[in-house]
Amino acid sequence: MSGQGTIDVVGFMDLASLFRARGWASPHRMDLDAEIDGDELLRRLDVPDAAVECLFVNHHAIMVAAARIRPGDRVAVVPPGVPGPHRFSLGIWKRPDAAGK
Amino acid sequence: MHKIFRIDMTDLKATVETVPEAWAGLGGRALTSTIVAAEVPPTCHPLGPNNKLVFAPGLLSGTAASNAGRFSCGAKSPLTGGIKECSAGGSAGRIIARLGIKAIILEGQPKGEGWYGLIVRKDGVEIVPETETLGKGNFAVVEDLTARLGEDFGVITLGPAGEHLMAVSDISVKDPDGKLRSFGRGGLGAVMGSKRVKFIAIDPEGVANLAIADPAAFKVANKAFTKTLNDHPVSGQGLKKYGTAVLVNIINEAGGLPTKNFTSGQCDHHDQISGEQMYDNIVARGGEPTHGCSVGCQIQCSQVYNDKDGKFLTSGFEYETIWALGADGLIKDLDIIAEIDNVMDDIGVDSIEVPVMFAVAMEAGLLPWGDGKRMLEMLREDIAKGTSLGRLLGGGTAAVGRAFGLTRIPVVKNQAIPAYDPRAIKGIGVTYATTTMGADHTAGYAIATNILNVGGKVDPLSNDGQVDLSRNLQIATAAVDSTGLCLFIAFPALDIPECLASVVGMLNARYGLSLTGDDVVALGKQVLKTEHAFNLAAGLGDESDRLPEFFELEPIAPHQVKWDMDPKELATFWSF
Repeated sequence: MSGQGTIDVVGFMDLASLFRARGWASPHRMDLDAEIDGDELLRRLDVPDAAVECLFVNHHAIMVAAARIRPGDRVAVVPPGVPGPHRFSLGIWKRPDAAGK
Repeated sequence: MHKIFRIDMTDLKATVETVPEAWAGLGGRALTSTIVAAEVPPTCHPLGPNNKLVFAPGLLSGTAASNAGRFSCGAKSPLTGGIKECSAGGSAGRIIARLGIKAIILEGQPKGEGWYGLIVRKDGVEIVPETETLGKGNFAVVEDLTARLGEDFGVITLGPAGEHLMAVSDISVKDPDGKLRSFGRGGLGAVMGSKRVKFIAIDPEGVANLAIADPAAFKVANKAFTKTLNDHPVSGQGLKKYGTAVLVNIINEAGGLPTKNFTSGQCDHHDQISGEQMYDNIVARGGEPTHGCSVGCQIQCSQVYNDKDGKFLTSGFEYETIWALGADGLIKDLDIIAEIDNVMDDIGVDSIEVPVMFAVAMEAGLLPWGDGKRMLEMLREDIAKGTSLGRLLGGGTAAVGRAFGLTRIPVVKNQAIPAYDPRAIKGIGVTYATTTMGADHTAGYAIATNILNVGGKVDPLSNDGQVDLSRNLQIATAAVDSTGLCLFIAFPALDIPECLASVVGMLNARYGLSLTGDDVVALGKQVLKTEHAFNLAAGLGDESDRLPEFFELEPIAPHQVKWDMDPKELATFWSF
């Protein structure tokens, strides 16, 4: 578990390979002193927006722009390409014209 | 496709019939379920002479359409007691379609103890006594028939479990590489075994291109359809590279990966059994991460998985099987999981039902948690040989759970619940409860454009909107199951409007019709209502549309959620 001042980050699919190639453990522990949004997280991880479809924050799927990450959180970074009926049912997919993020 | 082959195993006679007008516009699941509903008494014993086994290519099977290599098999299920339809890839469906055969109906029951093989040819069926392959596994049957009849024959075969009439038995289909694809669920192998048919071989002599009413329009629609498959990140990239097993980590992260007989939503060793690990192993050992189950497959989600010495271990290594063995049964070694998968293919058992059954058996103390080697022994020495223990295990998850007095038995209508926990993913719980098939994740798979009206985003932990969502998913799935197309077209269908439009375009061009998307939805509704009516008449009423009680009593980590859907809300599912 991450604690005060850190978060745990895991990557799936190609991002798992990328993180491993960087020598990161899974989960990768990252310093975080204050709340940031999902876009800022990707910037700090040096992961391009196009490589990510959604995040799981503490096991809840959420779109990147809507995510708020706080010290102590666990974050999973999910690329596009997740199969299964639950891409919809998990909330990874949202209607493109839906209000909100 | 203009003819139906009817094989009466009581009198050992086969006839060729013209297709009744009412069935002319049907294919795949729509046709198998319509025939079963019309000709099988719902209260009959599934293993008796009044049950029928029906094979039917989809409406687009045998054409040049991408991903249209699948076909359906239907009957009254020995496992659920209700109607059953399964879909499989392989080569046989395409050959059957291109021989102009709309359906093969297997009925009656021989009087003696002998077994038979069926040779399906362009103009009829030869029924031949069979002894050579009896007791043999599916791989040996395929090898034997290939040597006896030729490499290009399609083969539909039964393993030892089907010969023993076990409720966990499946029916296998030879794929283009001589490996196996399966009509997996509901014990259809036992129905074929009850007819004493060990194999059905399909002679490709005389196959012909199917008539297309508007070839130019078909070509345009298929090109557009294929582009959507290749352009979409799921069907064009994710499935190609990692297969369905990539879901292990995703569903674990969501807290919906049923672990240790559904006592947790997360598994500590998920990384060891993940799609990412599987991909790394395949590449390092010279396997094939990308592989198709049938001719014309663009998605190529299958794979060939080798052992550490580079020798074949299994193919078609699916998420649900890996989950059931690795998380539900706590087997940590992906290579042993692969070996078990291959043995299950060989003896002809459902690779969801059997591992879930074994997890229940582990809870009962019949074998240690995570003991894959003991499981292999029980598969080879008990289930395959039909010992008393093997017959108990071969009865399936519900039978084993009842035999040992357990209360945590993850089944609906006696069929094992697959790899997504309904407490953490409520929508799938509605599908498990209400589908006519018994617990089946593929029953609510397809996504039609009409569901875009079901909220902007679904909260998997909330009941809101889940019944409507499941209903729409099931209607769309029933329609796709009738086309012969792979269900994984659902992913581009969700995001790219041209995908479903091009499917409708191909149907219209193939048959000279003017269908709209509404007509396809109407077909899906018709299929579900036909199946539901059969189940009601078979004694599977609303009270069978329920999840097991333990889901209401036991919360699971990490979300600490229970199943709390109001039964009255669930009962609204059939209000359409």
